[in-house]
Amino acid sequence: MNAKRRRRVRRWLIALAALVILALAGFSALPWVLIAPAETAPSDVLLHLAIDPHSDSNLYVAQLYQQGMAKKVVCVSSQVAWETYPADYAVRHLMTLNIPEEDLSALHLPFTDCGAEDVQYLAEYVKSRGGKSALLVVDPSGSRAGRRLIEKYFGRAGIRVAVTYSPRDKQELLHDWWRTHWKAQRIVVSAIGSALDLLYPQCR
Amino acid sequence: MAVGEQSSQTKLKRPFSPFYIGWGKRLFLGISGLVVLYFLAPPALTAGARWLIREDGLAPADVVMPLGGDARSLRVRKAATLYQQGLAKKIAVSGVPYTWGFHSRDAAKRYLIVLGVPEADILELNDSWHTRGEALNLAEVMRQHGFKSAIIVTSPYHSRRALYTFRRTAAGFTFYSAPVPAESPEWRPERWWSRRGDMEHTVREVISWGNTLVGGLQ
Repeated sequence: MNAKRRRRVRRWLIALAALVILALAGFSALPWVLIAPAETAPSDVLLHLAIDPHSDSNLYVAQLYQQGMAKKVVCVSSQVAWETYPADYAVRHLMTLNIPEEDLSALHLPFTDCGAEDVQYLAEYVKSRGGKSALLVVDPSGSRAGRRLIEKYFGRAGIRVAVTYSPRDKQELLHDWWRTHWKAQRIVVSAIGSALDLLYPQCR
Repeated sequence: MAVGEQSSQTKLKRPFSPFYIGWGKRLFLGISGLVVLYFLAPPALTAGARWLIREDGLAPADVVMPLGGDARSLRVRKAATLYQQGLAKKIAVSGVPYTWGFHSRDAAKRYLIVLGVPEADILELNDSWHTRGEALNLAEVMRQHGFKSAIIVTSPYHSRRALYTFRRTAAGFTFYSAPVPAESPEWRPERWWSRRGDMEHTVREVISWGNTLVGGLQ
C-alpha cells in the first residue's frame, strides 16, 4: 500500500470513528432532548394522558387534585384491546385514591395517526365545556414535542395550559433506559415520532 | 518564453486518464442520477416494505396465536377465523397487565368468546412484553400440550420478524405466518411514506429488525 492510499484509508477510518462517536452521543442524549421540564398551574381541568402499564401517574394525578391544582379530572386514552379503554380503569383507580366520582370522567380518543390530531381533539373538548385553563399530565418521553403541540393548539383555542408528568415516571424511565427493552423502545419510538411529525403538515 | 516557465506549464497539464470526468459530464450524470432515483425510489421503497410481510400457505396446525399489541383486535379476529376454518384446535392469547385492574389478554379472550370460540379452546399465556417473550411462553405451553406446530397471526409489517423470532427462540417447533391483510386502517406497503401512520410502522419495523439481528434488547 503506498503512502497516498494509506492516508486515504486513515482519513476514512477517522471519519467513520467520528460518525460512530456522534451516533452514540446522540443516542445517549435522547432523554434530554425528549423530556421537557415539568410545570404545574392551577387549572379548570386536569387531563390525564399518562395511562400506561409502566406508569404510576395515577398517584401523581391524585396528589395534584388533592393540592387543588384542578377541580375536575378527565382520564384520556384510546382503545388498547377489544372494547377496552385504560381511561375507564384509571377512573376506577382514582376513585379508590379519594377523588370524588362527580369530579372524574373518562374520554375515549379515536384512532389517530399522530399526537397533533389527539391534541386538537382535546383542545376542542375542553373548549366545548367552557374550560379556560388545563393541566395536562403526560408521559415524560413525549413531553417536549407534546408541549409544543399542546401550547400551539390549546393556545389557538384560547386555553391556558401547563404540561407536567410524574417525577417518579421520569426517574423510572431514565434508570438504565438503554438496557431495558420497554424504556429503550419508548425513547426511540418517541424520537422517531417527533421527527416524523415534522414531515407531515397535519402533525406539526 | 523562458525555458523554466514552459516546463512549469507542462507540469500543470493533466495526464491522460480514462476515469477522469469533466464538470459538464459530472453535472449530466448527477441530474441523470436524480431522475433515475425519482422514478426508481417509489417502487424500490414499496418492494422493501412488501419484504416485511411473510405469509405462508394455510396449513393445519395445533394452535393459532394472535400476538399482543392488538389495539384494533384485527389479529384476534383473524385467529378466530382460522380456528373456525378448522386450521387449529386451540387459540393461545397473550397480553400485559395494567396495574389497576385489567389485562389485555382478558380482553382478547372476551372477544374470542364473543366471536364464538369455546372458552375451553382458549389457552392463556403468561405476561409477554415483547415478541421473544411471547415465543418463549408459547413454546412452554406447546411443550405442556404436546403440540408440534403453530400459526402466528400478527400485523403484516411485523410478520416476517415475528416468524424469524419464533423460529429462532423456539427451535424444534413448526411455525407458520398468517398475518392480517395489508390494508387500511392497519398498514399498506404501497407508497407507505405518504401516510404518517404507515411511515411510523415501517420505520419502527426496520429499526426493530436491526435490534433483532444484532441480538440486542429483548
